[in-house]
Formats: sequence, structure tokens, C-alpha cells
Amino acid sequence: MAQGQILAGYLAPHPPHLVYGENPPQNEARSEGGWEQLRWAYERARKTLDELKPDVLLVHSPHWITQLGHHMLGVRNLRGKSVDPIFPNLFRYNFDLTVDVELAEACCQEARDAGLVAKMMRNPNFRVDYGTITTLHLIRPQWDIPIVGFSANNTPYYLNTKEGLHEMDVLGKATRRAIERTGRRAVMLASNTFSHWHFHEEPAIPEDMSQEHPARYEGYKWDMRMIELLRKGHTREAFRLLPQFIDEAFAEVKSGAFTWMFAAMGYPEIPGELHGYGTVIGTGNAVMEWNLVKAGLVADAPRAAMGA
Amino acid sequence: MPVVAAFLVPGSPLPRLKPDNIPWGRIAAGYQRAGRAMAAAHPDVILMYSTQWLAVLDELWLTRPRLTGLHVDDNWYDYGDLPFDIHVDTELAHACVAATRRIGVNSRGVNFDGFPVDTGCIVANGFLNPDGSIPVVMAANNVYHSAETTEQLGRLAAQLADEQGKRVAVVGVGGLSGSILREEIDIRSDRIASHDDDRWNRQILDAIERADVNGLRKEVPEFAKTARADFGFKHFHWILGALQGKFYGARTHAYGPVYGSGAAVVEFTI
Repeated sequence: MAQGQILAGYLAPHPPHLVYGENPPQNEARSEGGWEQLRWAYERARKTLDELKPDVLLVHSPHWITQLGHHMLGVRNLRGKSVDPIFPNLFRYNFDLTVDVELAEACCQEARDAGLVAKMMRNPNFRVDYGTITTLHLIRPQWDIPIVGFSANNTPYYLNTKEGLHEMDVLGKATRRAIERTGRRAVMLASNTFSHWHFHEEPAIPEDMSQEHPARYEGYKWDMRMIELLRKGHTREAFRLLPQFIDEAFAEVKSGAFTWMFAAMGYPEIPGELHGYGTVIGTGNAVMEWNLVKAGLVADAPRAAMGA
Repeated sequence: MPVVAAFLVPGSPLPRLKPDNIPWGRIAAGYQRAGRAMAAAHPDVILMYSTQWLAVLDELWLTRPRLTGLHVDDNWYDYGDLPFDIHVDTELAHACVAATRRIGVNSRGVNFDGFPVDTGCIVANGFLNPDGSIPVVMAANNVYHSAETTEQLGRLAAQLADEQGKRVAVVGVGGLSGSILREEIDIRSDRIASHDDDRWNRQILDAIERADVNGLRKEVPEFAKTARADFGFKHFHWILGALQGKFYGARTHAYGPVYGSGAAVVEFTI
């Protein structure tokens, strides 16, 4: 078996509003649309993901919060209805997903070997969180690629940002080793919003876009600053600023997915492709891609040649 | 006063899922004593607030007449599933949704199949209302609400129940000190995460038992900060609101650790 590789990473935020706006058959709630620019951003991301033809999508979600270590989904098939506890009026989604359990177990083992507390979730009745499902639907609505789902350990909030993000760096590097060891052609998905200031009341018509705008100008300015750095490939500078960004923009990247993804990719200093930016109840959301194949950092080895 | 019983109880599923583990079994036994006290009080409705049901937009109230299912906790799924069958007093819940504007809070009802009822409400209802015969009103913990706002919500809910001629049991679901043990442990030797946390918990429980409301109002903010009390101990303020800030003592049916955090089952004397 050839060594596995990470083909790309996507910043893939999870506002359930985008699923609601799209009206897929899996979601019970119906809308008149809304948040089109972000949904079109995801349309572009879907195309590039399709071209990569990965074996597996790995997603880290801030809405499966665990206290004791980092958890990975470990049941081959999980299905059910995911109702968003915050926006149940918008997101009631019937999901049916396939987990790459072998890779999940390898990620768990590598994380343990790196000194982290890590656990496999084996309960078949487990309800997958809406962050995981939303990101996966938005990037690949066909649900035809196996996934590995990671919980968000609450260390960044429980201890502090520095220690929490250090753990995510360790977890990302462990994830990369697991991908390499199992021969997978993988795509990483960081399910994170940028600035996370939001409104406290919902418009009567949630998709009324005349009500949508950044909740705070400071958050918007921070988002643009970070996106500009990332578009130029100034990854090191973006990560130097990350703690300040988290503090001053209440950025959801504190929960760790963004750091986990970049650590797995080796913090490449390559320009990120911005597929689009928009706000959802005032929060800042960027859909971005770091394509390691296009950047020449990995060979575009087709699946057959990988022996996977 | 319409309130005939009041309880502060933990929302951790561990005592419910694994009562054969001695430290958690003590909490479960305390919960069972509280359940008997609940039954003896013959309430018409339980007003329940759980720190684990998080809201960020508006205040949410369950308005679905009945919720049934199998719940799996995000953290403690290894220990099994939590079946639930919850009957909601929709008349009172709708009244709460309609009335909170009086105190400057926007509310919404939640009436959706498959809504993820939180672990805390399921655990508390399972212990205190095991046959589900007492209808409940469940209110979310809006993370932006202060202790004062939470107290106002509890007071308003109890007043509305009184207007409907109902006898009320009020339940605040949440923990004491919030630090958990962050490594795998031998669960038989579970302990409060630190001596300081343990001291704080005992100090707060002692003040509750003495019904020192003024002292508690002063101490709780420091307790919340120093001992990481579960969501600022807002579940206590929910109870305090429903009791109109007055009770005469309390009995601690159980106190102990749940993976390092503090848990207590407390019955208020009213």
C-alpha cells in the first residue's frame, strides 16, 4: 500500500441556514432561499472537491463538544434525524453517513501515541451533531464519500487558547500520520466560522437578506485581514495573529478545527482560494480551499495507483 | 404560593447510567429520595431549567405535548442510552412564551419532532418523574442571560402557573464546581477535582441549608468564578426566582463527584 496523502483542506463553516436556504430533500424545513453568495461559494468548492476524488473526508466540528479527550466516530453507518438545538426551525435533517472506521481508529491510535486522550465512539444510536452534518452536506451533498468525524475537546475554553490550540496542532499531525499510514487520499474540512459575534434575535423571515450584515464592524475587519493574509499564502503570519483574532473577533476558530487542518497539512505557505464570504445572523463565514495538488506539494496519485 | 416542592439536581448522566459505581450510586440514591419527595408533594407541573439546554437567540421553551426517544450523551455514550418519555404542560409553556416580553425577554416555543432534549432534563425527569405522570415545562439556558434574568424567568413561570391554579415543583438542573478530571480514571475512585472546589461546594451547600439567601447572593458570583460553577450556578437562580427569593432551609440528599465536578441533590424547605 502506498503512503496516503492529504490532497486539500477546506475551511467549511456550518451555518445550518445555508442548508435551509438550499432546500435539499433531506431537510424538513422549507425556505425561499437566502445566503446565496455563501451557497454559491460552496457550489464552487463542491466542484473542486469533485475533481480531487478523495477516498475520505475528515471533519472537525465545534458542535460535538467533549470534555474528556478527543473523540472520533467509530460506527460504520450512522443515520437519523439531526435537529439543530439552536435553530430547530431551520434544520431538521435526515442523515445517513458512512464512516471510514479503519482510518478513524488509526487517527485515534496516533493521537494516543502522541500523548492525547482519544476515544472511539462506538454507540450505534449516537446522534451526529449538526455542525458535522451541515459541513458535509454543503461540501458533498451526494454523501458518497466515507467520512471521519472528530469531536471538539473543550480545552481551548476550559484551559486557554494557547494550550487548546497546541493540542489541536498535535491532533492534526497525528491525523496526518494516520492518513499516511492507511494509504488514504484525504481531504480535511475545518468546520469553523471566523468572527462569531451574532444577533440575539432572529428576523421574522430568517432568509430575509435585508436583515443580514456583519454583527460588528470589528469582526468584519478582522475577517478581511485574515482572509487577505490567507489569500496571499501568509500562513505563518495568520497563525501568529490567530490568538488575537480569536480574542478580538470572538472567532470560532478557537474551537480548533482550523489549527487541526493546517497542522495536518504542514502549515503550507500557499495562497488559499477564497470561494466566497458572507455573514449568517451576523457571523463571518469564509469558504476557502488550500489545494495541495494544485500547489505541487503532493502528487495527484489516482486511487488505483495508491493501492487503496 | 403555588410552589409545593423545589430541588437542585445534577445534570450529569453518570449516576443514571451507572449507579452501580459507588460514587455515582450515592448521587442516584439521593436522586431517588428526592423523587419520593416529589411524588409526596403532588405537583401539577414541574418547572425545569437545565444548564445543558443552550440557547443563544431568544429564550426557548418546549411546547411539544410529548417527546419520546432514546438519548445518547455526547460524552458518556459508552455507558448506554437514556430512554425518555416527557409530557409537556403546553398550556403553561405557551403562557411563558407569551409573557416574557414583560421582563424584556423574547421567547419562542419549540415544537419539533426529534428535537434534541438535553441530557440534564432527561436525567432529572427520569429520576424525579420516573413514570412521566407529572407534566413539565422546560426552559433553556440562554447563555447570554444573567443570573438576574434567570431569576426573573423562574419567578414569572411560577406566577403564571399560579394564575392557572397549578401546584408547582421547581427544578434547577446543573452542577456545582465545574472542573472535571481530564484523564481516564478508575471511576470507583472518582473525586472532586480539587480541595478548593470541594470546600467551595460544601460552603455553598451549607449556605443553602441555612437558607442564607443574602449570603448566597454575595458568594455565588465568586463561587462561579473560582470553582467554575456550572454556568454561573444559574439553575439556582431559576429556583430562587420561583420561590420569590425565599425558602426556610434545605436538605442535601447527596453530594459527590461526577468525573471530578461537583454534584448535589438538594431539596428545599419551603
